[in-house]
Amino acid sequence: MNTDEHKVADASLRLFAAGERELQRIVLDMHDGPVQDVFAAVSHLQLLQRELADRPAEARRAGQAVQLLERALSEVRTLIGVFRPPGFERRALGAILEGLCVQHEAMTDQPVELTMDADLGDCELPTQIALYRILHEALANGHRHARATRQTVSVERHGAEIFLTVTDNGRGFDTPRVLAAEADVGVEGGHFGLRGIQDRVAMLSGSFSLDSTPGQGTVLRITVPAVR
Amino acid sequence: MSRDKIRILLCDDHAIVLEGLRALVDGEEDMEVVGATTKGEDVLAMVSELTPEVVVLDYELGGIRATELIEPLRAMPDAPRVLVLTAYHDGETIRSVLEAGAEGLALKTASPQQTIAAIRQVVDGQLVFPQAARRWREARGAARGGASELTGREREVWSLLAEGLTNVQIAARLTLSENTVKFHVQHLFQKLGVKNRTEAALRHASPGRATNGPPPRR
Repeated sequence: MNTDEHKVADASLRLFAAGERELQRIVLDMHDGPVQDVFAAVSHLQLLQRELADRPAEARRAGQAVQLLERALSEVRTLIGVFRPPGFERRALGAILEGLCVQHEAMTDQPVELTMDADLGDCELPTQIALYRILHEALANGHRHARATRQTVSVERHGAEIFLTVTDNGRGFDTPRVLAAEADVGVEGGHFGLRGIQDRVAMLSGSFSLDSTPGQGTVLRITVPAVR
Repeated sequence: MSRDKIRILLCDDHAIVLEGLRALVDGEEDMEVVGATTKGEDVLAMVSELTPEVVVLDYELGGIRATELIEPLRAMPDAPRVLVLTAYHDGETIRSVLEAGAEGLALKTASPQQTIAAIRQVVDGQLVFPQAARRWREARGAARGGASELTGREREVWSLLAEGLTNVQIAARLTLSENTVKFHVQHLFQKLGVKNRTEAALRHASPGRATNGPPPRR
């Protein structure tokens, strides 16, 4: 890379971190405002519903309001789960990825089998962010699109590189067709988020491979440098 | 009748949440809010004074984390059960609450009825965490010498042993043969990973010994 290319690469990686900070702010605003208000409102409404026991029509209306607000809370729960950055600057990569697997299990009730090197060594912030977001997308894809009932994650360090492998027993897909469909998606992103995964890997000059066959599950392999 | 109610202390730095939850909990026939505060620093004094059975703590209490309060709470005589209330269900939050020794976690992004249900569950001696936390839960059991594997009888023997009773006295108290008691004591030592009665008694006296929480109230 020449000097200009280095500057562009550095700027891109800084944008990674800036995006995470912005997400952190949005999630905090959501936590401090709507979550508290809606939770408190549902508490009052549930009590009201009980107090209206001898007025069935009114009780039913209160119950409907409770259901709507609970649905809103559940959507906020998903949003917080997806977007909240996991404390990249405070925690080791291994703890962050393990926590993500547990969160995925808690949200989906599906097991994730995780094997990971005990010590993944030093890892720069852009790499941590990329691995976290890629694993997040891969686990979500396996659950949402592939309907997998079993997912495995492996994270290893060899020399200066981190190897991430995510497999599932889902229904698989036609890899060339899906990758072609996602080749030039715009701001809205592709159906499977594969463009985003590839872009994150490319920004770090890593490597990406996806093996999937309809009916036979999927294997995603990522290699990225831990430090540049 | 009120003596049978579950006595609860609520702590949340969001006054509106505290007010809503207090009204809802107080409306439950088997529950009574004995105190409520928005200040984390008031919790220990209030627990001493009000002796609640369950303390519901918001995960973030201004400058204090709920997890910082759990250890001193568990060290108190008649330590209350602790249920942590949080909007976050990520691995770090679940793990920190579990490892701090709380009995359960309830979500602010779920129905408050689930918080009510979780209060009853922790009073019944259950650990209320997502199934996904099982690895850490098992690790917590192992770290404390496998107390979670104790049978009800072994727990009884453990309590009496910790009071200083001999095998003969324990046998008389539980109407068992001395050999049966020896058998239980042997298993107890193995599961706790201790070598003698003194160590077992010390473990019994240490806070947070019962991996699955104190025995059920009912």
